[in-house]
Amino acid sequence: MKPGALMLNNALVYDYLKHFIREELHTSGFTEASIAVSGGLDSALVLRLTVDALGPDHVHALFLPYSASSDESVQDAHAMFDFCGIPWQELDISAMADAYLAVQPGIDRLRTGNLLARLRMAVIFDQSKKENALVMGTSNKSELLVGYSTWYGDMACAIMPIGDLYKTQVRSLASEIGLPPQIISKPPSADLWAGQTDEEEIGISYETLDQVLYLLADQRLSPAEAAAEGFELELVQRIEHKIQTSQFKRVAPPVAKLSQRTVGIDFLYPRDWRR
Amino acid sequence: MTCTVALAQINPTCGDLESNVKLHVDQIEQALEARADLIVFPELSLTGYTLKDQTLQLMRPAGSPEFAALRKLSNHIAICAGFVEEGEDGIPYNSAFFMDGGDVVHVHRKMYLPTHGMFEELKFFGRGRELSVFDTRFGRTGIVICRDLFHPLEVSTMAALGTELLLAPSAMPARGFEGEQLAIERTVSLALGSASTFLGMFVVYVNRVGFDDGLGFYGGSALSDPVGGVTVSAPHFEPVLLLGRIDSSHVARQRYQLPIRREEDLAIVRHALDAGRNP
Repeated sequence: MKPGALMLNNALVYDYLKHFIREELHTSGFTEASIAVSGGLDSALVLRLTVDALGPDHVHALFLPYSASSDESVQDAHAMFDFCGIPWQELDISAMADAYLAVQPGIDRLRTGNLLARLRMAVIFDQSKKENALVMGTSNKSELLVGYSTWYGDMACAIMPIGDLYKTQVRSLASEIGLPPQIISKPPSADLWAGQTDEEEIGISYETLDQVLYLLADQRLSPAEAAAEGFELELVQRIEHKIQTSQFKRVAPPVAKLSQRTVGIDFLYPRDWRR
Repeated sequence: MTCTVALAQINPTCGDLESNVKLHVDQIEQALEARADLIVFPELSLTGYTLKDQTLQLMRPAGSPEFAALRKLSNHIAICAGFVEEGEDGIPYNSAFFMDGGDVVHVHRKMYLPTHGMFEELKFFGRGRELSVFDTRFGRTGIVICRDLFHPLEVSTMAALGTELLLAPSAMPARGFEGEQLAIERTVSLALGSASTFLGMFVVYVNRVGFDDGLGFYGGSALSDPVGGVTVSAPHFEPVLLLGRIDSSHVARQRYQLPIRREEDLAIVRHALDAGRNP
């Protein structure tokens, strides 16, 4: 694989994404954005982009910790708020979560993680209604493609500014616009339990994952062709399997077609339908 | 003959004919103040691009009363703008009209409607089947809409039919952010360079800006001169009205300097096509 194939013109991307945020919001009749900041890199980058696009007065930032959230996440979220110079609000979701967890003995880590993501979703959407704001999505292309995200949890949002940037491209853009280095360099984590990291859970480093995803998705190579670019076939097939089995998360649920014109099938209007 | 062309790199409102007509009038008035002779708008500039099922509600004949203000203004400036044309056959076409002297002089129906990947034009529009080459006070003029520009056979044929001024209204989405220029911009540069350098035509490429459902139109409108190369180019992502000069003597000068047109022998092409049909 050509070295630097995933390198982007970050200045151009930065300019484009600011326009995207501004125009998608204004087209929908909004001036305000809500964003849940986790202390991780993706939400840090989206926060910075949104503040730069709309101005600090139009961004409503929230930090939604759970009792198991790491001290590092707390510090990094605070560092980002300071870095962007914006007011923010903290709403601890522990009481909400624990009320349900108490009646679910034996709940596993995955279900707990999904529950926390969906509680955060419920809170950020409610807060966005209060502020008459749109919820900014923080999913990146790597996690969207392999489905490493919670359906109707962290995936729920109004717009996804970094949804076409791989994690390694997110890092590169974040460096370019000068995000605090400790946020860029720390191992990516959903922070659902102590010591959790994405790469350990997915079982592949983002550097490798992104290159394989680029070959399979962007370049449309078959797994065998992708493997010939210098990757183990078994690894490539595992990634392809993740892409295929998470497709349901990337599309709207199918509607059973009965009539001449069916929502989701042939009732065709742009999302940015103004009239 | 020299004239001034205005490149109206606008961000139309999707599906709102009335506000887009106002936007056009505003741009035209600015162009008139700047003493422009011709103004060119992007593809589907009067309706927006990602219309889907709004197509049915937005189609109009070129002579629609809703365009009366534009026809009136065309007494003072020639206007090329994009709209959904309601054909006499009742079919919607992705078209551009050319108005001058208070009338619609010509309507071009887009011939090549991209329907692949992010594009779905043939789902909603009928296909134009004629090259647009017509005479105006600016010389022999042709119109290609967006993807039409990427078809060298058609552009070459238009040059062979004497086209000196090629108008290229577009709605090209940005993609390919790896290099100094966007990948799509490099592709457009090839088409502009080839039409101007080899075919000796002025090309007025006007691309829109703004976003439709995540597709970001990049702008980068340009005037490509057979002698001078790209003499005017618009910035990325921002609406702007730019002016360029067209000196029609440049057509003859380039065609003398690099006489591709003089060398051209269409009999060779005809023979090859005939032979290919009857091997």
